[in-house]
Amino acid sequence: MSQEQPIKAWTKLLEAGRKITTHQQVDENKFYPLRRVFRPAAPDIAKASMKRDFEQGLVYYVGDDVENDRAMCGLDRLPPTARSFKDAIDKKRIILEDAGVFEKTTYDKKKGTFEY
Amino acid sequence: MTTAQTKNKTDDQTKYGYFLGCVMPAKMPWAEKATMLVSKHLGLDFGYMKETLCCVRPGVWKAVNPDWWLSITAQNLANAEKQGIVMVDTCNGCYVSHYEAIQELHEEPEKMKMVNEHLVKAGMDPLKGTVRVRHYLELLYEDVGMKKIKANVVNPLTGIKIMRHVGCHARKRGDILPNYFDEILKATGVEIIDTPYDKTCCGLLLYFSDSNQSILDRIGKKMLTAKELNVDAYAIICSGCYDQFDRAVKVYKDEKGIAFDTPIVHFSELLALAFGYKPEDFGMMYCRPIPTTKLIDKLKTLKEGKQ
Repeated sequence: MSQEQPIKAWTKLLEAGRKITTHQQVDENKFYPLRRVFRPAAPDIAKASMKRDFEQGLVYYVGDDVENDRAMCGLDRLPPTARSFKDAIDKKRIILEDAGVFEKTTYDKKKGTFEY
Repeated sequence: MTTAQTKNKTDDQTKYGYFLGCVMPAKMPWAEKATMLVSKHLGLDFGYMKETLCCVRPGVWKAVNPDWWLSITAQNLANAEKQGIVMVDTCNGCYVSHYEAIQELHEEPEKMKMVNEHLVKAGMDPLKGTVRVRHYLELLYEDVGMKKIKANVVNPLTGIKIMRHVGCHARKRGDILPNYFDEILKATGVEIIDTPYDKTCCGLLLYFSDSNQSILDRIGKKMLTAKELNVDAYAIICSGCYDQFDRAVKVYKDEKGIAFDTPIVHFSELLALAFGYKPEDFGMMYCRPIPTTKLIDKLKTLKEGKQ
C-alpha cells in the first residue's frame, strides 16, 4: 500500500459511502472500546457504487446532461439499458434479495442505506 | 469450454446484440455511435441488446461472493437468451463476466440450478445456457475477417501515431485478442508506437484499495508516456479502462496541475474514420475529458495533402 495521502476523488467516494452507513464503527467504538470490530460485507469505498447499482441497475446514472451528450452524438437520448426498462431493475432487486445480497451487505432497500 | 463458446463461424442469420454496460452509454456516446456505424457498415445484423444491467464486475463481485456474481450476471445472460441474440461486449470486464459465468454455469449444474431458482422467483425464464458471448474484437476479426475490413478502408489514417491499450482482461486468453486489436488498428493505417507500458494494467481494479498506485503508478505512467512521445491519440477498446483514463485525466489536472493533451479514442472511431465517416457523424468532438480538436485538424490536413 502506498503511504501517500489518497487522492481527493477517492476520499470523496469514501465519504459518500460513509454518509449512507447508519452505524459508523470508527465513531461508535470510541464509546464501546471493548466491542469487537468486524469487517462489513460492503466496504465503505464501494457503497456509493453499490447503491447506484442496487437502485438503477447500473453503476453510472444517465441524467439530462448525459442524454444531451447522447443526442449530440446521434444516439437516442435514452440507452436501451435498465434506464429505459424499469422492469429489469425490479427483477434485479428480487434476485439480489433472494440471493441474500441485501441481507449480507446490511442494505436497507427502503431507506437506501447500509446498516454497517 | 462449451460448444456454444467455441463455435467460430457465424451463419448469415446471426443477430448480434450489443451489450452496452455502465460506462459506454453514460460516458462514451461517440464510441457507442461509432461501433454501431462500423458494424452496420460491415453488413452485420447488429443491434442493441435490451434491458441490460451492470455486467457485474467480476473483479469485485466474484472476489466478494462468487454465487452473488453468478446470480446477478445470470439475469443479463437470461435476457440475451430470451432475445435470441449473440451477446457482444466491447468492454473487457463485461466480456469476462459473461464469458466466465456461462462457462461456470455449464461446468457446475448445481450453480445453474441455484441461479435459475433466483431467475424464476424474479419472474424470468430459467437459463438454458445456450447463449453465446463474443468480444467485439472476435466479431470483427473472426466473423467479418481482415480481408473485408481492409477492403472497406477508403480513408487510411496514414501519418497518425497512436499508443494503444487493449486491457488486462483481453489478455486472459493469451495473445488472441491483443493480436486482433493490433491487426485491426493497423488496417486503419495508423502507426502504432510501442512503449514499455503497453501491457501495464489501467489500475481500475486497484482503485478501491489503493488510489495512488491505481492512478499514479498505472494509468498515470501510461498517460505521461503518451504526453512525452507526443502521439496523436491513445486507442482503447475497453469501457472499464476508459473510465480509469477519464478519472486519471481529472486527477492529474485537479491535483497535480498536469494537463494531458493526448485524446483517448475508441478503436471503433478510428475504424469509422478509415471507412470514410466524418468526425461529426459520431460526435467525435463532444463530451470528452481531452478534446480531439488537434487530432481532427491533423486528419484534415493529412487528407488535404493526399488530395
